[in-house]
Amino acid sequence: MASISINNIASAIYESSRGKEGVELDVIMKNAVDMISKKHLISKSKEIINQLQKIVDSNEGVIRAKISSKTKIEQKIIIEIEDFIKKRYKAKNTFLEFEIDEKLLGGIKIQIGDEIIDTTLKNKIKKLQNYLINK
Amino acid sequence: MTKNYIVENLKKQIESFKDDAKAEKVGHVIEVFDGIAKISGLSDIKASEMVSFPNGETGVALNLEEDSVGVIILGDFTKIREGDEVKATGQILSVPVSDAQIGRVLNALGNPIDGKGAIKTDKSNPIEKVAPGVITRLSVNQAVQTGIKAIDALIPIGRGQRELIIGDRQTGKTAIAIDAILNQKGQDMICVYVSIGQKDSKLRKLQTRLEEGGAMDYTIIVSAGSSESAALSYIAPYTGVSIAEFFMDQGKDVLIIYDDLSKHAVAYREISLLLRRPPGREAFPGDVFYLHSRLLERACRRNKEYGGGSITALPIIETQSGDVSAYIPTNVISITDGQIFLETDLFYKGIRPAVNVGLSVSRVGSSAQIKAMKKVSGTLKLDLAQFRELEAFSQFGSDLDEGTKNQLERGKRAVEVLKQPQYAPVKTEDQVVTLYALTKGYMDDIAIDKIKEFEEGLTEYARRNAKSFYKEVIETKMWTDEGEQELVKVITEFKQSFAK
Repeated sequence: MASISINNIASAIYESSRGKEGVELDVIMKNAVDMISKKHLISKSKEIINQLQKIVDSNEGVIRAKISSKTKIEQKIIIEIEDFIKKRYKAKNTFLEFEIDEKLLGGIKIQIGDEIIDTTLKNKIKKLQNYLINK
Repeated sequence: MTKNYIVENLKKQIESFKDDAKAEKVGHVIEVFDGIAKISGLSDIKASEMVSFPNGETGVALNLEEDSVGVIILGDFTKIREGDEVKATGQILSVPVSDAQIGRVLNALGNPIDGKGAIKTDKSNPIEKVAPGVITRLSVNQAVQTGIKAIDALIPIGRGQRELIIGDRQTGKTAIAIDAILNQKGQDMICVYVSIGQKDSKLRKLQTRLEEGGAMDYTIIVSAGSSESAALSYIAPYTGVSIAEFFMDQGKDVLIIYDDLSKHAVAYREISLLLRRPPGREAFPGDVFYLHSRLLERACRRNKEYGGGSITALPIIETQSGDVSAYIPTNVISITDGQIFLETDLFYKGIRPAVNVGLSVSRVGSSAQIKAMKKVSGTLKLDLAQFRELEAFSQFGSDLDEGTKNQLERGKRAVEVLKQPQYAPVKTEDQVVTLYALTKGYMDDIAIDKIKEFEEGLTEYARRNAKSFYKEVIETKMWTDEGEQELVKVITEFKQSFAK
């Protein structure tokens, strides 16, 4: 039998705890932690929680995005970005995280899961550099 | 060139640069070691897709696992760090192809390394391609002339064939391949020499040799040296065959040499073990047979409706002290259409090329041999087989009957005739004349140490005096009765003058 992956454990926890509340949920959580410790996977608990978060997000239609820019983004543009993300990923809810990075020189970079939409000046200059070298 | 001109030029180039913002798949390096990187993310990546690292190096995704991707790094992996952002390119690994590659030395990625400038091309071929199917193929019926008597006469190679050259170290495997390339001059053939894990000094020597022989005019060298990573050794033969396919697609005949596939298998074993694929026999991974079969299956002869052209493959395998039953040799023997078996013992006995005629076979080449050669080599094979049998017996007793003695003497002369120095390919017509004289018994009364001299003199004399015989063999690939009479007359004449 193939070994149990982190993904397996996280989805098992999600499946068994869905729709449960109060004492019932407490019992399931305790059992889950017991199981993880029995399988000697406590050291991987961080990854399991991350994976659980991803599973919960995808089932509830939540998109987590990290937006980096050189300066603070205006409220109007934030709403635009939010709309764009909701439309592109068919998400019900978005959860945006902002980061200021001087090195980007300008423009914004949106990171969603393992997808990146990079419209920063820094990226463009790099692409231009590659283009000129290969020309 | 003025300053203004440079600025203008740059301006134009920058203006023509287009950049569209698009979503890219990225991942992060979890671990990197020994030319292998494990990467998280990259959810939609395809097998053998290229990825790019921040310092410009490329990698190829080989292992697609549930939550990570195993990537081999093509190039320098020492500058890649944990946490680096890796981008998927969406492209399957491919190499540039161009007519301008002829005469150049390329690395495993198809870029020139001979310092003669860049090769401009916008065409590229994926390195992994499915081999041509049954309906596109044609049976092998045209010869590759190697210029080596022992091979052309006894183990003929046809265009589109895969003929293995196998033997211990230092038995002249590469020498046969080089002679074959040198002899392709004027035969309308493009040659690709793939060097896998060879010493750079050896490669340099080989390149110089080919240049001196004028063979670089139709030859491409693809090299993954022993100082480069195993990943490059692994892809080099596929690069070579992709370039060969580019020329085959133009309807040309291509000869490709893989020197050698033992090192290729070792490089693949290294990669597989580092990627934690389960080891099998001799620690090679389970798909090492497929590794070579999919490569060699791409050698083929295509029929006219599909554009014609052919790829003839001469893979080389190095054995350890003559052990052909090791894993890789048996695999490649079963994939190819025959093998040229070289032996250390023969080599040190002075029989060079050290081809063991008994163990070497060509499974499809005989239908590609020209008629004239078939006629003279048919009896030669028999002579040699009988000679080997008798030779073992004759060591015990001295009183042999006349017939046996004659057979022994004939055999000794046959062995002598098949000896040939390196870099001295012999023309097919000359081979026919020599072998005709041998098998019809005209050399039986020449002393063995005079055979070489006789052979050289005869071909030179016949070339001048048996013109119609030569014409027939070159044009119709066979002689007529009149031609044969002329040749017999010329041989007798020459024998008389040689005796004096």
